[in-house]
Amino acid sequence: MLSDYLIFIVKGLARRRLRSWLTIIGIFIGIAAVVSLIGLGEGLRSTINDQFGFVGADVIVVTASGGLGPPGTGVVDPVTEKEIKAIEKIPGVEGVTGRIIESAKIVFNNKAGFGFAASMPDGEGRELIEDVLNMKSIKGRMLKDDDSGSVFIGYAFYEDDETYDKIVDVGSKIEILDKEFKVIGIMEKKGNFQFDGAVFMNEDDLRDLVDRQGDDYDLIPVKFNTNLDVSKIQMDIEKKLRKIRDVDIGEEDFSVQTPTSVIESVNETLLAVQIFIYIIASISLLVGGIGIMNTMYTSVVERTKEIGIMKSIGAKNRTIFILFFVESGLLGSVGGIVGAILGYIGATSLAYIGSIALGSDLISAHISWQLFVGSILFSFIVGSFFGTLPAWKASKLNPVDALRYAK
Amino acid sequence: MILDILKYSVNNLFHRKLRSFLSILSILIGVTAIYALISFGQGINAYMDGFAQEMGTDKVFLMPGGGLTQAPGTSNILFSEDELDFVRKINGVDEASGMMITNGKVKYKDYKEKYPFVIGMSTDSKEKKIIEEMFAGIEIIQGRTLKKGDLLKATLGYSYIIQDRMFKKTMSVGDKIKVNDIEIEVVGFYEEVGNPGDDSNVYLSQEGFTEIFDIEDFEYIYVRTAYDQSPTDVSANIKEKFRKHRNQKEGEEDFQVQTFEDMMAIFTNIILVLNGVLVIIALISIIVAAINITNTMYTSILERTQEIGVMKAVGAKNKFILLIFVIESGLLGLLGGTIGVILGYGIAKLGGIIAAMNGLSMLRPGFPWWLTTGCLLFAFLVGAGSGYLPAKQASKLQATDALRWE
Repeated sequence: MLSDYLIFIVKGLARRRLRSWLTIIGIFIGIAAVVSLIGLGEGLRSTINDQFGFVGADVIVVTASGGLGPPGTGVVDPVTEKEIKAIEKIPGVEGVTGRIIESAKIVFNNKAGFGFAASMPDGEGRELIEDVLNMKSIKGRMLKDDDSGSVFIGYAFYEDDETYDKIVDVGSKIEILDKEFKVIGIMEKKGNFQFDGAVFMNEDDLRDLVDRQGDDYDLIPVKFNTNLDVSKIQMDIEKKLRKIRDVDIGEEDFSVQTPTSVIESVNETLLAVQIFIYIIASISLLVGGIGIMNTMYTSVVERTKEIGIMKSIGAKNRTIFILFFVESGLLGSVGGIVGAILGYIGATSLAYIGSIALGSDLISAHISWQLFVGSILFSFIVGSFFGTLPAWKASKLNPVDALRYAK
Repeated sequence: MILDILKYSVNNLFHRKLRSFLSILSILIGVTAIYALISFGQGINAYMDGFAQEMGTDKVFLMPGGGLTQAPGTSNILFSEDELDFVRKINGVDEASGMMITNGKVKYKDYKEKYPFVIGMSTDSKEKKIIEEMFAGIEIIQGRTLKKGDLLKATLGYSYIIQDRMFKKTMSVGDKIKVNDIEIEVVGFYEEVGNPGDDSNVYLSQEGFTEIFDIEDFEYIYVRTAYDQSPTDVSANIKEKFRKHRNQKEGEEDFQVQTFEDMMAIFTNIILVLNGVLVIIALISIIVAAINITNTMYTSILERTQEIGVMKAVGAKNKFILLIFVIESGLLGLLGGTIGVILGYGIAKLGGIIAAMNGLSMLRPGFPWWLTTGCLLFAFLVGAGSGYLPAKQASKLQATDALRWE
């Protein structure tokens, strides 16, 4: 029975080939646009998420609020040793230390570049940071406690020579804020521009370099027991810091960020932009849907006599409705399948062109199977939605009037 | 003749009301989106142009290396008073003024503190003019500007006199705020710039800034070039002289010099590109609409095959039939375009009002005449263009075949 319907419908569509094709094209353009834009948007989001983890994955980060630069810098009331001592005692905390981060001019091979200089604390703190950031050297060695005048550098310096015309290698001398440092090791690639473009030096060196004495820090990384509930530890830290910094709830001049919350704040802005673009892209889908409606109305008018005959030999209203409803759904889903495939090809090739043109992998396409299947399903829904009214009209036709209908 | 064709077309469109309506609907949606998007792009452009005109194209900026990618107030590279004096003496420099900037903690009464940018400006009467120009026509609307000797006094941006924007209550001249826990008297407020960042700035005298933050050096130096010299040349000259002054080799500079025009061009280009991408995405819907119109026209021709046969039998030329159908589909497009422009205008106006309520009055739409005529013409051409193939087919019909067709 159902296969009879299908055969009837497909035959009908094939008979009006040109019109069916044009309708399908309308839908697949819309779907292709939406699929490729969502794919590119998701790709951008995942790249940005990778880029923004200055802080590492399994680590809570405490910073003072108010700065606009790298995390915790340029703030009014920086966090200090006092906060570190207090956080240490919170249950679930496995280690805590302080770091300072400065933006720095880095000169090598008579060329200047700009990056971040980050401090490495002595002793246990060093192990903690190496652990939470999963720092490894791929060449040379990492910093040790009394390595004065030496730096451990991010992979970007070693990987490409774009900024300095020459790669920086172990043993190279680079000038950071006009003071010379010796490179003792290269960090394994992190795929994150903040890390890969940073230089690491011992805390005393960095404090001397920027003339910043005292015990203030830009950020406090906190290692926690990952078996415990991270939001509980986060709340405990917030409570303790409110007490020692003497601020009320809701008036915190600091922030305690868990690995997910850092990414969330970035994602919020990005999501707003993405949604706006998707809305504009789905306009074409809407227009495609209107096209289906138009085609279906025409189809109902053309087949008025046919409907009259079907009804007079006993077809129920429901049967007529299903016939037209499935026909428009079919138009939609064929458009959806073609559109999803084209969208996939479009996004991948755009990403490929983009990566060649920009020389970076910032633009990439992420098309999940959910997106793929979802878009096909969605186009079926669009097709049947816009086919509902015409199908309804067809099913309500009076057989006597329909038979008498003349073109 | 043309009038007859028009009448015939309109009658036909009216005859198939529903189908015409759906075709018009599909094109008007796209035109609405495009009209609204471009009007915003144009509005922002006009805003930037106005800004540039007030500020004058004779300005050159000296700023830390890394430039705009670095957040203000976080640079390690600053310019001293001596260096500012040096810049003043460079050939082609008419006047120069330094600007200090950092993040400050601002507290008002018991409300939650905010962390806006605090800016230290010169109050020297010689630099008064260049500072006015830096403000690009943004003037004090309450109280007064800072003057020489104002140590713990401040002028504030527009957001402070709007309830709930910076603080829960509106401020007025004479109020006291705390900047990094030091009490400051507010002496004036600026009018609205139109972006939340600049509208929440706190302006201090350089002396006051140094007193509070213990920072003496400038992050930016503004230069007005002499009227008879090109800013590009002066900018190159400053770059070279200043590099030598700082004893830096070429390519190793830790500062950069840019003309105001270049900076504006970068910003305007970014906006134009973003706007362009959105418009292109919206154009996709127009393509779909064009396909819909083609479809409608094919159907319409099929239905009227006999009619075409009759027309041809009584002597209508191919050209005439072609014209009838092209005009008909063009009318569909034009109608969609007209409604689209009206709707787009309404949406853009509404969007502008919503943006202004959120402190973003720089996001206001602009409606140049070419945008409206362009959209109408475009919609007509899309309609006529998508009707061309079906119309061509209709015009080629053999009168005898067409008459026989059922």
